[in-house]
Amino acid sequence: MVISPVHYIVAPLLAAFAIPLLTKLYKDAARLVPGIVLFYNVVISFELMQQVLKNGIINEVIAGWKPPWGINLVLTPFTAFLTTMVSVLGFTIWLYGFRFKRTLKGGVVKYYEILQMMMIAGSIGVIITGDLFNMFVFIEIVGITAYSLTAFYRERNGAEAGFKYLLIGSLASTFLLLAILIIYTQTGTLNMAQIAERMGSVPQSMKITALIFFLIALGIEAEMFPLNAWAPDAYEQAPSPTSATFAAVVSIAGVYALVRVLFTLFDVSGVHNYLIVMGFITMLVAEIAAITQKNLKRMLAYSSIGQVGLVLIAFGIGSKLAVFGAIFLMLNHAVIKSLLFMTGSYFIYNSDDKRLVGLNGMHKQLPYVSALFSLAAFAIVGFPPFSGFWSKFYILISASNQKMMYLIIGILLVTIIELVYYLRAVGRIYFAKEEMDDVAHKPSLNALVAMSFLALFIIIVGIYPDIITGYLSDAASSLLDKMHYVQQILGSK
Amino acid sequence: MNSLAITLIILFAGSILTFGLDTINRKLTGWAAFAILIFTAIYFYGTEHNSDFTFHVGGVTLKWGFSQLRLIFINIILILSVLSLLYSIDYMKDKARLGYFYASFIMTVLGMMGVVLSKDFVSLFIFWEIMTWSSFLLIIYNAYYKIKTEGLKYMVFSAIGAYAMLTAIVFIYHYYGTFDMATAIEKGVFSFENHSFIPIFFALGFAIKAAVMPFHVWAPSGYANSPMSFTAVFSGAMSKMGIFGLLLVFTTYYVSHTPGGYVFAQVLAWMGGITAVMGTIYALIQTDAKKLLAYSSIAQLGYIVTALSTGTKLGVMAALFLAVLHAAFKGALFMVAGAVERQAGTTDMTAISGLIRRMPWTFFVALVSVISLAGVPPLGGFIGKWLLYEALITESHNYFLVIVIFFSSTAAFLYAYRFLFGLFLGQEEKETKNVKEAPLTMLIPMLILSIVSIVTGAMPGLIFKPAAEAMQTIGFSSMDWQMSVLSNVWGNNVDMSVIGSFISIVFVLIFVFLTFKGRKTTRRVGTKDISSSGELWKEGENWTFQQDFFKPFERAAAPFYKLKMNNIWEDLGNALEAFFNFSRRIYTGNGQTYAMYVVGFLVLLILFRDYIFR
Repeated sequence: MVISPVHYIVAPLLAAFAIPLLTKLYKDAARLVPGIVLFYNVVISFELMQQVLKNGIINEVIAGWKPPWGINLVLTPFTAFLTTMVSVLGFTIWLYGFRFKRTLKGGVVKYYEILQMMMIAGSIGVIITGDLFNMFVFIEIVGITAYSLTAFYRERNGAEAGFKYLLIGSLASTFLLLAILIIYTQTGTLNMAQIAERMGSVPQSMKITALIFFLIALGIEAEMFPLNAWAPDAYEQAPSPTSATFAAVVSIAGVYALVRVLFTLFDVSGVHNYLIVMGFITMLVAEIAAITQKNLKRMLAYSSIGQVGLVLIAFGIGSKLAVFGAIFLMLNHAVIKSLLFMTGSYFIYNSDDKRLVGLNGMHKQLPYVSALFSLAAFAIVGFPPFSGFWSKFYILISASNQKMMYLIIGILLVTIIELVYYLRAVGRIYFAKEEMDDVAHKPSLNALVAMSFLALFIIIVGIYPDIITGYLSDAASSLLDKMHYVQQILGSK
Repeated sequence: MNSLAITLIILFAGSILTFGLDTINRKLTGWAAFAILIFTAIYFYGTEHNSDFTFHVGGVTLKWGFSQLRLIFINIILILSVLSLLYSIDYMKDKARLGYFYASFIMTVLGMMGVVLSKDFVSLFIFWEIMTWSSFLLIIYNAYYKIKTEGLKYMVFSAIGAYAMLTAIVFIYHYYGTFDMATAIEKGVFSFENHSFIPIFFALGFAIKAAVMPFHVWAPSGYANSPMSFTAVFSGAMSKMGIFGLLLVFTTYYVSHTPGGYVFAQVLAWMGGITAVMGTIYALIQTDAKKLLAYSSIAQLGYIVTALSTGTKLGVMAALFLAVLHAAFKGALFMVAGAVERQAGTTDMTAISGLIRRMPWTFFVALVSVISLAGVPPLGGFIGKWLLYEALITESHNYFLVIVIFFSSTAAFLYAYRFLFGLFLGQEEKETKNVKEAPLTMLIPMLILSIVSIVTGAMPGLIFKPAAEAMQTIGFSSMDWQMSVLSNVWGNNVDMSVIGSFISIVFVLIFVFLTFKGRKTTRRVGTKDISSSGELWKEGENWTFQQDFFKPFERAAAPFYKLKMNNIWEDLGNALEAFFNFSRRIYTGNGQTYAMYVVGFLVLLILFRDYIFR
């Protein structure tokens, strides 16, 4: 069988339709099938990444309709890297949540698994598509699954968070559609490579209007300030594996969409400065909000936003090293933050108290999980020798190459805020007076495997980043080389 | 494989090993950790380190190497931490989380070793951070509430310092295109001529670690609250990493006295002087022995900073000498405080007294170390102070600074006496009647450290030799030194060995005397005994005067005590917290407001589109 990017989308879609039928035959199918599909994604993404790195960009044309008329799926080193990352994390999160709510009555788990799988599939779709309208469709898939997963627990808070997410998300869709509309009227095409080619002839005012709509719409998806207010509620109320997915998969897809549009479609100056300034504000406000939080998942949510802010800053700096650092940070953020959500949810699960107070003295009950949480906390702050250090280091070097001294100092000062609240949480786990006695919920084996895998990754990449930097470097140059992208897509007409 | 890398790998593996061992066998953990450190030390001293270790990772070349200057600091680190770990075995015996403690301890040693061995800035930063977070884990070891105060204070200050360094490092890469220390220094990174913010940022990081005022805020509580067996290393060795770093920053200045470097050195020298005075004054009023030692540490580090900022040959020599000596006597004193804490339950000097009979050997160590600390001849501390005065008077002609240092050095007698008296002398209390001498594994390290103070007093050449060799590697001309003769510019020579051996005999006699005296029972005093001036005291009446020690001095120095840097920092912290709480309200929790934000932001972007996008 020939492997092609289409499998990323077809397999989950088929599975999503099949799962309700299969559950009639075998009760556990709802939990097993998504795992198989996600694992299949992992396998093909590694295979495809090898192909891309060896033979160059893969341009898969759907149903023989060549671009610009049909839809095409594109795997560049950049998107191939992101899909691999997202697939692996998606599978890890599935593994972690394998036994999630299996005791819940009423077949809820069936919907949960389908939605979770579709959210990951949609995110991959956003990343691999080469067509602007197709991207819109995938963003909608991600959005709708995400709204319903946010409101998964049928209670007041969940519904409220889901509704807020829906409200802001639909604003995003509206503006995105508007932006695409403007682009389509001006260039007459929806294929991204072709738009990039024809962008030069679009009048400046139209270009900037479209750009602003894109910035708003995709800024919402990428959790940029002040458009990110939906995020903390959604992260907090969603089931924990879903929160991890939000951080590791959905936000990555959002940032990708924003970056792809800004870097490939537009060549407007000022965008870079805009990204740096808004990225910094995003980071600052998010970390400030995080330090005042009393709820663990909310704190992690704000911290996620802060990380995304730093990613945006790095993309804004725009040199190859900066983009390299940004992609590295996306990877680190995805891995570390999902580990934090995974371990954090065990604390919440065991303490009946979603607040940070619930962490007190947890290391007695959950020694291994506590150690992993501390590891992840240290890593995300950027302590060497963990992986978080290197990404921050590269971003700072790239900033210094642009002589942005105040930016560097600003980033590092914000990091100190981050450091304070993470270390406070770690301190609670290990040193606060324990108030509760025995705990019933030990982590299950599959969750332990998933978490250990991520922790191992953090340590190995921290000590020897070279195992990953080659891919990152290719990814960075492929994103920046816009001409090559356009030629490869349109050349295969 | 390279011997330096193996040393660090042994430590890394050892740290993880001890962490795991705790769950298997609690009793063995301490001994295993000790064995690992001893093995590291034996391996390190037993192998030749001829070649640098280079390692390419992530586009950066990490380079670890060895030199004479580094050797001095490695000696401090390895010897002091081996001794402290031996001491910890009994000190920590009944405490929880042994694996956690020993793993962090060894990790800290790894961090310090790495800092000293680094020959490029990236590994310097990496090890610096490892050292910082592992020592943070030890500071908060005692309780959670300490995180909020001491732990975070330490961490925030360390992070400010480390990030200042990181900023400087990335700019070094930008301006000089290298991370390699030797190459960058050759190109003039630390010349204070162009981009002088780079050495200043570095110095900020190092000065914070050396607890130079006004960045010392973390130090008093940090030193006093971590387990004493670690504080010995923390104050004795880790603060020296700051000194090592400052020596590094000054390397160019030492060779070619640049004008910018001169200004900076003067400023730093004065900061050191002020630190010495304020540290001493604050040490005076402490009633807790641990706090007293902590402030004393700050003051002593102040001397060292002043000494190395003179930039002269004698000054740097004094700095190195004092660094070694401070590790010896302050390590010993913190161990004494720990021993008292373990045996008598507290180190509050108003609560306990008269331990001399109960803990004679501990008293002996305290006595020797306090004499060395106060700089009384002929122990090692005196030689260091002598060199410092000589450097200030004859070479840098900084007479004001001499007065400042002299003042604090004299005032140091007062707190040194208070420490000795408060814990060991005076009337024996009922509560301390059953106190026993510390176990042997705790005594041996303390005695070894006090022997260092005695021997270096008689034979300062033991330190002169490596220090002179070290100074040649950073560009000073070779230096005359003799094993046990101190000389000054006026041609007077003092043979320390005669005095030293005489004094050593006296100390041995004191030691023997104390040992026997401690075994004797208390003498009954009759009503006609004149030693009580014929006055009878009632049972339980307190005749010691620990309560209002040095009251007149306190009154005289009252204006100084109002200068509390801590308050300024705390006000800043509170203000920031209030600001954070205010800013957080951006996220109101109301969906409509959030939608308004989106629309409002859109309007803003459209309005200002011409300014933002071109």
